[in-house]
Amino acid sequence: MPVEKVTQVSQTKPWYGALSSKYGEALLKTPEPGLYGQYTYGIAGERFFREIKDNAKITGAKCQKCNLIYVPPRIYCERCFEGLEEWCEIENKGEIHTYTIGWVDLDGSRLEEPVILALVKFDGVYGGIVHKVEEISADNVKIGMKVSAVFKEKREGSILDIKYFKPI
Amino acid sequence: MGMRKVAIVGAGMTKFMRRAHETGKELSWQAAKIALDSCELTLDDIGCVVMGTAPDAFDNIHMKGDYLGDGAGAWRKPYIRGFVGGGTGVFVADQAWYHVASGLFDTCLVVAEEKMSSAMPHPQGNFITCWDMFTESPLGPSLLWFFAWEMNRYMHAHGITEREIAMVSVKNKKNAMDHPAAQLPAEITVEDVLNSEVMAWPVKRLDVSPTSDGAVALVYAAEHVAKRITDKPVWIEGVGWCLDTIYVGQRDLYYPKYVEYAARQAYDMAGIKEPSKEIDIAEPYDPFDYKELHNAEGLLLCGKGEAPKLLADGVTQRTGRQPWCPSGGALGVGNAIAATGLMKVAELFWQLRGEAGKRQVPGRPKKGVAQAWGDEMQVGSVIVLGV
Ligand SMILES: [Zn+2]
Repeated sequence: MPVEKVTQVSQTKPWYGALSSKYGEALLKTPEPGLYGQYTYGIAGERFFREIKDNAKITGAKCQKCNLIYVPPRIYCERCFEGLEEWCEIENKGEIHTYTIGWVDLDGSRLEEPVILALVKFDGVYGGIVHKVEEISADNVKIGMKVSAVFKEKREGSILDIKYFKPI
Repeated sequence: MGMRKVAIVGAGMTKFMRRAHETGKELSWQAAKIALDSCELTLDDIGCVVMGTAPDAFDNIHMKGDYLGDGAGAWRKPYIRGFVGGGTGVFVADQAWYHVASGLFDTCLVVAEEKMSSAMPHPQGNFITCWDMFTESPLGPSLLWFFAWEMNRYMHAHGITEREIAMVSVKNKKNAMDHPAAQLPAEITVEDVLNSEVMAWPVKRLDVSPTSDGAVALVYAAEHVAKRITDKPVWIEGVGWCLDTIYVGQRDLYYPKYVEYAARQAYDMAGIKEPSKEIDIAEPYDPFDYKELHNAEGLLLCGKGEAPKLLADGVTQRTGRQPWCPSGGALGVGNAIAATGLMKVAELFWQLRGEAGKRQVPGRPKKGVAQAWGDEMQVGSVIVLGV
């Protein structure tokens, strides 16, 4: 059984000695749109993204029993399994819990400029928001840095209504 | 707890490679056939089949378990596909155990397969459908980001350096030089790892295992049957698995608590009180070099943040007091996701029988633990074997 040993993705050759079928590609090229999913935001998601769209605000959901504030919000507590009905506004002041400096895109190609991607947490909140960090160079970003969300002027109810987080 | 003793009596695997010509079914059949031949059984002797294969997205084949069934030997047999993402390979080893331990079946064939090369342009992109479609997917996240966040948090919590972590990659790729089925065996240095291309800092090219195609199979038998098949049964002494919250912001990224819960379940069952002393060999899941250390801490093989010290002291080398990934692991043998998890269980089987060839750990090891991890990075699956 021949074995191909490569250390770089770019050196990878097609399968040895074989025909291969490109089913997915054919599907994408059909004149009628291919199969796709249409997702609903759900009850908590609707609340979260409507607040972002209408008021440029981050919303959490509170479990009184467990004393937890969920961000993104939920209609149930995953710990005690009770329903959650108390929404609360989260102050737009978070902290970089951890981050990465991304140098490659989804197919492994090199980016011209790196992007900073962080998990942002908020004081007293269970959870956080994953997003880009800008207005700072990759060399200067640190765990524990205080950041706030920069919202777009024209918003449509998407996580991309937040342009990025910036240091404060 | 009213369960029967279960032994592993046979094992087999294909070579791991970047692009296999064989289909997933064919790889499954090759591994299953080798495993059956190794203990001189045929499909007629098998009571049920358990199949492990990770995301359907790799193959773009929905209900992949059903598609692979005939290759895994499931024709007209009780059959189930277990699935917990990257944790699948050891989870199906646990699942196969309860099929036999419960008394329902005397034998079970467990097969794990992955063919990642079908995903184009790179399997990395196929993870996009795993994330939350509103809060995460619009950002176009790469799986690398999630690993990088965890690795950074692990380093930050304990003051661990990239240099200390790179040694895992050096060790495992070297161990794989002795594995006949390995995809990426290599003699590299810490400098090579540190100087390799930065993908998502702190993750660099050589911190990461390759994507792979391959399959692994094991044959399980209840005690009374096992004793007729072999005079060298390897007993399954403990199993455990656990899932944490799926939200990345809600987990303690510096420590895999859910791996600890899974490990405690398995150790309690096996009567192990001090895993750091009682375990002779460990095969923690190492899709990235830091993960071996992270997972070993979750497996309670050392305290939190202490794994790099054991590595630096040579304790986890194949000739050390407690070898970690003597197989070569995902970093060296290859990371055919579900198949790699089961490869780790197969490695313990060969090591505990003294059949690991050039990889054989000296001193007649008697107890081993294997672990897989993954899904949305919140799953731990653990198995303890003994002779
Ligand atoms: Zn609660």
